[in-house]
Amino acid sequence: MTEPLLHRTLDANEAVADVAYRLSEVVAIYPITPASPMGEHADAWSADGRPNLWGLVPEVVEMQSEGGAAGAVHGALQAGALATTFTASQGLLLMLPDLFKIAGELTSYCMHVAARTVATHALSIFGDHSDVMAARGTGMALLCSNSSQEAHDLAAIGHAATLRARVPVLHFFDGFRTSHEITRVAPLSDDDLRALLDEEAIRAHRARALDPDRPVLRGTSQNPDAYFQSREAVEPFYERFPAVLDETMERFAGITGRRYRLFEYVGHPQAERVLVLMGSGAECAHETVEHLVARGERVGVVKVRLVRPFSLPHLLAALPASATSVTVLDRTKEPGSSAEPLFGEIAAALLEAVARGDRPGLPRLAGGRYGLASKEFTPAMVKAAFDDMSAASPKRRFTLGIRDDVSGSSLPWDASFDVEADDVSRALFFGLGADGTVSANKAAIKIIGEETDLFAQGHFEYDSRKAGSTTISHLRFGPRPIRSTYRIRRAQLVAIHDPGFLERYDVLEAAAPGASVLLNTPIAPERVWDSLPAEIQQALVGKRCRLFVIDGYGVAEKAGLGRRINTVMQVCFFALAKVLPIDEAMGHMRAAVEKTWGRRGAEVVRRNFAALDAALPAMREVEVPATATTDRRRPPAVPGDAPEFVQKVTRLLLEGRGDDLPVSAFPPDGTWPTGTSRWEKRALALDVPIWQPDLCVQCNFCSMICPHTAIQTKLYEPAGLAGAPEGFRSAPQSFDAKLGDLRFTVQVAPEDCTGCGLCVEVCPAKDRTNPRRKALVSEPLEPHRAVERRSFEFFESIVSAPLDALPVDKRTAVFRTPLFEFSGACAGCGETPYIRLLTQLFGDHLLVANATGCSSIYGGNLPTTPWTTNRDGRGPAWSNSLFEDNAEFGFGMQLAVDVRAARARNLLREAASRLPAKLVDELLAPGSGESWMAAQRARVAELDRLLAADASPEARAAREASPSLVPRSVWIVGGDGWAYDIDYGGLDHVLASERKVNVLVLDTEVYSNTGGQRSKATPLGAAAKFATAGKATRKKDLGLLAMSYGHVYVAEVAMQARSAQTVEAFLEADRHPGPSLVIAHSPCIAHGYDLVHSPAQQKRAIDSGMWPLYRFDPARIDRGEAPLVLDSGPTRLDVSAYMENEARFRMVQLRSPERYAALLEASRTAIRQRRSLYEQLAKIHLPQEEKGHG
Amino acid sequence: MADLRTEWLGLALASPVVVSASPISRDPDAVAAAVDAGAGAVVLHSLFEEQLVHEQMAAFRFLDSRTDLDAESSGIVPESDVFPLGAEPYLAELRRLRERVDEPVVASLNGTTPGGWTGYARELEAGGASALELNLYEVPTSADESGAQAEDRQVEVVTSVVGSVRIPVTVKISPFYASVPAFVRRLERAGVRGVTVFNRFYQPDIDLDALDVDRRLLPSTPAELPLRLHALAILSPATTLSLGCTGGVHSGEDAAKAILAGAHVVQVATALLTHGPRHVAAIRERLVSWLDEKGYRSSAEARGVLDASTAPDPHAWARLNYARMLDGWRSREDWRRLP
Repeated sequence: MTEPLLHRTLDANEAVADVAYRLSEVVAIYPITPASPMGEHADAWSADGRPNLWGLVPEVVEMQSEGGAAGAVHGALQAGALATTFTASQGLLLMLPDLFKIAGELTSYCMHVAARTVATHALSIFGDHSDVMAARGTGMALLCSNSSQEAHDLAAIGHAATLRARVPVLHFFDGFRTSHEITRVAPLSDDDLRALLDEEAIRAHRARALDPDRPVLRGTSQNPDAYFQSREAVEPFYERFPAVLDETMERFAGITGRRYRLFEYVGHPQAERVLVLMGSGAECAHETVEHLVARGERVGVVKVRLVRPFSLPHLLAALPASATSVTVLDRTKEPGSSAEPLFGEIAAALLEAVARGDRPGLPRLAGGRYGLASKEFTPAMVKAAFDDMSAASPKRRFTLGIRDDVSGSSLPWDASFDVEADDVSRALFFGLGADGTVSANKAAIKIIGEETDLFAQGHFEYDSRKAGSTTISHLRFGPRPIRSTYRIRRAQLVAIHDPGFLERYDVLEAAAPGASVLLNTPIAPERVWDSLPAEIQQALVGKRCRLFVIDGYGVAEKAGLGRRINTVMQVCFFALAKVLPIDEAMGHMRAAVEKTWGRRGAEVVRRNFAALDAALPAMREVEVPATATTDRRRPPAVPGDAPEFVQKVTRLLLEGRGDDLPVSAFPPDGTWPTGTSRWEKRALALDVPIWQPDLCVQCNFCSMICPHTAIQTKLYEPAGLAGAPEGFRSAPQSFDAKLGDLRFTVQVAPEDCTGCGLCVEVCPAKDRTNPRRKALVSEPLEPHRAVERRSFEFFESIVSAPLDALPVDKRTAVFRTPLFEFSGACAGCGETPYIRLLTQLFGDHLLVANATGCSSIYGGNLPTTPWTTNRDGRGPAWSNSLFEDNAEFGFGMQLAVDVRAARARNLLREAASRLPAKLVDELLAPGSGESWMAAQRARVAELDRLLAADASPEARAAREASPSLVPRSVWIVGGDGWAYDIDYGGLDHVLASERKVNVLVLDTEVYSNTGGQRSKATPLGAAAKFATAGKATRKKDLGLLAMSYGHVYVAEVAMQARSAQTVEAFLEADRHPGPSLVIAHSPCIAHGYDLVHSPAQQKRAIDSGMWPLYRFDPARIDRGEAPLVLDSGPTRLDVSAYMENEARFRMVQLRSPERYAALLEASRTAIRQRRSLYEQLAKIHLPQEEKGHG
Repeated sequence: MADLRTEWLGLALASPVVVSASPISRDPDAVAAAVDAGAGAVVLHSLFEEQLVHEQMAAFRFLDSRTDLDAESSGIVPESDVFPLGAEPYLAELRRLRERVDEPVVASLNGTTPGGWTGYARELEAGGASALELNLYEVPTSADESGAQAEDRQVEVVTSVVGSVRIPVTVKISPFYASVPAFVRRLERAGVRGVTVFNRFYQPDIDLDALDVDRRLLPSTPAELPLRLHALAILSPATTLSLGCTGGVHSGEDAAKAILAGAHVVQVATALLTHGPRHVAAIRERLVSWLDEKGYRSSAEARGVLDASTAPDPHAWARLNYARMLDGWRSREDWRRLP
């Protein structure tokens, strides 16, 4: 037995990848939350030249989809390599066909799944077993781990067992709760792994490889005479697998001292009530059972490790014969099933045991669902399950952890029940994503887990915002392994890293009596108490808390770290938590700073050291009076005039109380109202733009570029100013002489602005006596907040002047009502302006099919969403199906639109005799444009009025179908990962059709949402995950591929630098009778620079030829013109001037100047060649289609 | 044929023509070509501490601080320890050059903090630099520090660097000292082995359309040479330090002039950028042919023969000469306008 030399603190993703990487020769992956970090670790290790167990650096390859990764793995295995992959959720579903094959061919293979919810009525990135359970028919062995240590160990056991048994293994653990939870892990050494593996079995695996020296044929097609028998031939291998796994576990125990079993029993030896479950929830059950047994209860829990192949003998060995009641908990839902899958397995097995005479009789059986999408699962719920087993009439089927007031399925639980020991320290941190709280807590856990004898656990919650996100960190440390897989409910330390949280959440709800509360606030200590809302004062008094304050922002700012307060707050944490003597802790923190930032140079280290040293002297204790002294309550999360649904549901989600909502509060089919983001006033910006009417040239650049729709412009009649609040600014329009005396206003939405600064950056109007002053001036939010809030409310109420007289162009487009507003996208996002523009041009008749990715998260992640409606209640109807099917999904929408329009026309013709002929003719005549749309809507209304009193079936049908006589514009929207990679096949097929669908690709040249993995849109020379050394191949020319069809409208646009061309392309694409494709240059934080410079950088992209602008319009072929028009001129800037401004290229240069030089040269060549090709295409003349030949 | 061997900073050079900081000095192939064409040494571009700090903080802010922001993305850059942001890239460049050429490679440093100056100086020495050039590039913008205080501070930096490395140290200065010779004497006392004249500054311009300042660094022209000749001529008799001339040397004739004025080495950048690294050969050949024409046996023999101590008219290097030249250009009308 090898004693591990040291402990490491790891999350399960890293713990698993560490083993899988060392035991593999080929790693094929595709990013998906929450499994992405496993692939990223493998990629990073491979880039750093880390060898596997046999001294070779594994091949780590990113594929175009999980289906592709599974195919690559299958091939690698067939050809004799040791291969693995990592995935979750939809990714696992895409792998299923290959998994059936891999298992059918008895292939030694172990893969790793961070189990995640499969999208149903909604997508969820969080954890449950719905994905794994969907794979249970594949023939893969299903092996479950409950913690990082187990995941580390069972990964090794899985790889070793499959080599011996030839049944492939799907090893899984709970997404986020386990995959992202950091705990202390005793690491397996290379020697441990070597001792575990059966070299003979590896040799045998290699010997089974397809090899022309020993040719065989695998993957035949079989007829009824052969298939069934040969399918059954695998049976002995499945029979044998549980025993092999158990032997491997035994061997593992001999090496490490940690003995695992297929079913692990914990509890009273003569337990009467036994719970069966798997995954992280089993640890919570374990902890609860120990507590209840200590209180004398005869209860126990069976933790399931091997789900398939199911081993009855091993179950019976684990389950006490004394059990009279067995309840099985499933972390998945299979609607309509007789039993959820684990319950089904256990019930069937026990029935079998009774039938075979292995058990005298059946215990009372019940099955429950819990924890879907990482729903909280606590000891109180475990106890509720046990309590129900002793009830007079227990529920046979139930849910646990929610209040089901619709079907009455849920068990009640006693929220006050708690099992956590007093010698476990618990700390809760409320942080902002950008302040580094989570990173600092990870560092703190590392220090505690690796430098003390204590066990440590860190769990992190994030909201779904990309700008101004909230994080909640849960840290525990104590003398025993920590099995508390649920949120902290009694924290001895609560750290509030931004004073804004005091106004938004009940941050002290989980404070234990006597807790220390640490508050970061710029308010002086002597004035802090008076600044606190009543709820906080009452909690501090009531719970006898001690209050400590520090101006973390001030300290960080002074140290040169901006608002990155994590180092400062970490010191305060160690000072208050007293887990280590502070001097010792300071030493560890200094070492951690050195280790984390040293690679980035001395300055970051120096400044963090300065922050470390300045923190403690800046912390003060504030005396908590005997009673609360204010009656100022926390403001409501949504204003009183918000709609009922927002009041009843959204408000609770915003306040972090969504768990309290019962089933009946939710729509059953995932349908949700639009226009909710406007009720969430986040006030993120430190500085907001303030309009200076005297300087403004009314160019509308500001409202065109704003990623958050937080600065808007309007033209209106002077009468619109009636009732304007004080401070509202207005100017005579200088837009167009023919508009007369209309007024013009630029208005900021101060509480929706993120302070990205783009509007100020692009504002071209300068004060000639003080060029620093522009027509937009950045000023601190607070002094302007009230005035600008009132002004914005008034601005929204002003009716816009009719715009019919003006052409739709880059200046006028933004006068149209935006129907996408205040999204949670990153400050400075380069994607959202395109979406907003789309809604301004077509929003009142727009259907959007949105691929999964950033745009589906900022576009459709609860609690609030940005798609909204105009004054008439019309607006975009939006849906997200999947990542991999979005083109087809949107295509289907278009088919439905076409079918419904055809039906409406037919019904209109059938009802024509009841209507004026002119109206019918006009309704049936094709048309387009804003004024025609308005007229058509008026005609539909007229039809409605005329037929309202007509009770005939024809009239009624025509009336009901008539809205479809107004055209709909279907836009398929997604990122480059979607369009270039995972759904390229589908996109290609849709473009090849003749349907009038429009495609908008928001091209950030990288998988943005999952954290910057390479896509086929990544440019040559850029570093990205899976292209660490810099991508050596060219960006796929998606536009050129689409042009090759000849009938597709194609454009490449870049609206931050050239909005005129973008507007033109959008309008042309929408007018084009066939499919259209608009590829939009989208600056992204993943490019690694300050996005306030993105307009200048986008201009460099255009000028250097990196991003040519063009429009390819098939209509021009018919006019005898070349279809391609180049909208950007000849290259006038060396591409190095573009590349050197983005970290993604600069990283390559710093890592290897030689490689950078070579890639730069290759980039130049690529640009020259592409430009030359386009220039030639822009001159070609194609023969026109000959008419009349059929 | 005249002997071009030169001693500079105690280093024996095959030629006084030195490759100066420019894109050429960053390209090992180009440097090898220049050395092959007769360059005696290479001076690297300066390691600017301020720039390192700027880039480190940019990486901290725009890359490393974007970790753990949301549930789906662990961060936006590959986890691998892929790119260093301290002196390492510079040191790698230095190493590559050292491996490629046998001639001395001089590292150049512009620090901003006392610790930065000495720390990086030691790193550059350890990295294999043959000598160290301290680039005292700074633009005074504050009225709170007097010229004397600024000079004191600079001398203090130089002293501490000289005390912390063993390799020879030379200092590149700007022309903006009240007394260049006096400042050079202070440097000499601080223990430096050489001085190079002069640093070149960015030449900001005004953009009339954008109402903004336009920053640029224009390539040097031979018109910049006279200012250097002037300084060399005055320094040459006044100091025992090795003198370098940088800025404005484009041809063999320019090199000859600088040597006559007292330069031990001439540093060439723009001419190599314009004509390629092999242009060193043309400069060298012209220099040799001129030396031969004039009967000098070596460049060392020609060095300083027209400096302030030995020029036929030493006053030619003094201010009177400057005034006289101006007078010569002035038209009679201008005369009448003078008060």
